[in-house]
Amino acid sequence: MFVYEKKLQYPVNIRRPNPALAKIIMSQYGGPDGELGASLRYLSQRYTAPYPEIKAVLTDIGTEELGHLEMVGTILYQLTKGVSAKELKEAGLDQYFVDHTAGIYPAAASGTPYTAAALQVKGDLLADLHEDLAAEQKARVTYDNILRFCDDPDVIDPIRFLREREIVHYQRFGEALRVATDKLDSRNFYAFNPEFDPPKARSN
Amino acid sequence: MNEREKMLRQLSAVGFSAHDLQMYLDTHPNDTSAAKALEEYEREEGRLREEYEQRFGPLTAGCEGSRWAWIADPWPWNNGRD
Repeated sequence: MFVYEKKLQYPVNIRRPNPALAKIIMSQYGGPDGELGASLRYLSQRYTAPYPEIKAVLTDIGTEELGHLEMVGTILYQLTKGVSAKELKEAGLDQYFVDHTAGIYPAAASGTPYTAAALQVKGDLLADLHEDLAAEQKARVTYDNILRFCDDPDVIDPIRFLREREIVHYQRFGEALRVATDKLDSRNFYAFNPEFDPPKARSN
Repeated sequence: MNEREKMLRQLSAVGFSAHDLQMYLDTHPNDTSAAKALEEYEREEGRLREEYEQRFGPLTAGCEGSRWAWIADPWPWNNGRD
């Protein structure tokens, strides 16, 4: 189960609104490499994960991603708080405004609503861990790209924190992959799928 | 930064250290020095959490006698501009 803590993982306090920045940071809320997708990917992959270390890593990282989703939502809220419809239009958010006013809706920077089509649960340990490693790198690049457009230290600081966490998660998934291959058939990692094949069907 | 924000920042820093170590231990369960450091951070976090909650209200729902303090502003996404 999950229990809510009434605090952010890392503080966000943006003093100056900037709807143009919100328009691009939005992608980390509901975009293809965003925090919602990250969370759903790991928290869904874990059910068929075969080894205790892997279940723990997927659960703990998937949970932290929910905290990141809240941080990104907070950044978007504070960047658009008190902004007029005219200013939103000037920032290119008039179409967003028509559908959501100043509410925080999960969509990509391009406007495409959040879709689980950008994530995968393959049910195969090696395939899923490689997906997770790639996902962390893609999220890291998205934050790097966002930082190219940021000149407000109030925004740069929490975005840098989130970027750094992608690198730490990548490290943990790399270790999870090592744990996994240590337990597989060293002559052929693909000899069986430990998430699906029953132990008696395995060659060793 | 007011007193509440200062204390929350301190609590979050210690809590983050504990969280990061705990996740490291998922893949390094035999690392006893990391496990020991985690225990120390957890103890410190518990102490700071108790002090924070006494002064500024609950961080989780369902604490005895705290229903008004639980719903009270500020929520985590609120800042001085709300």
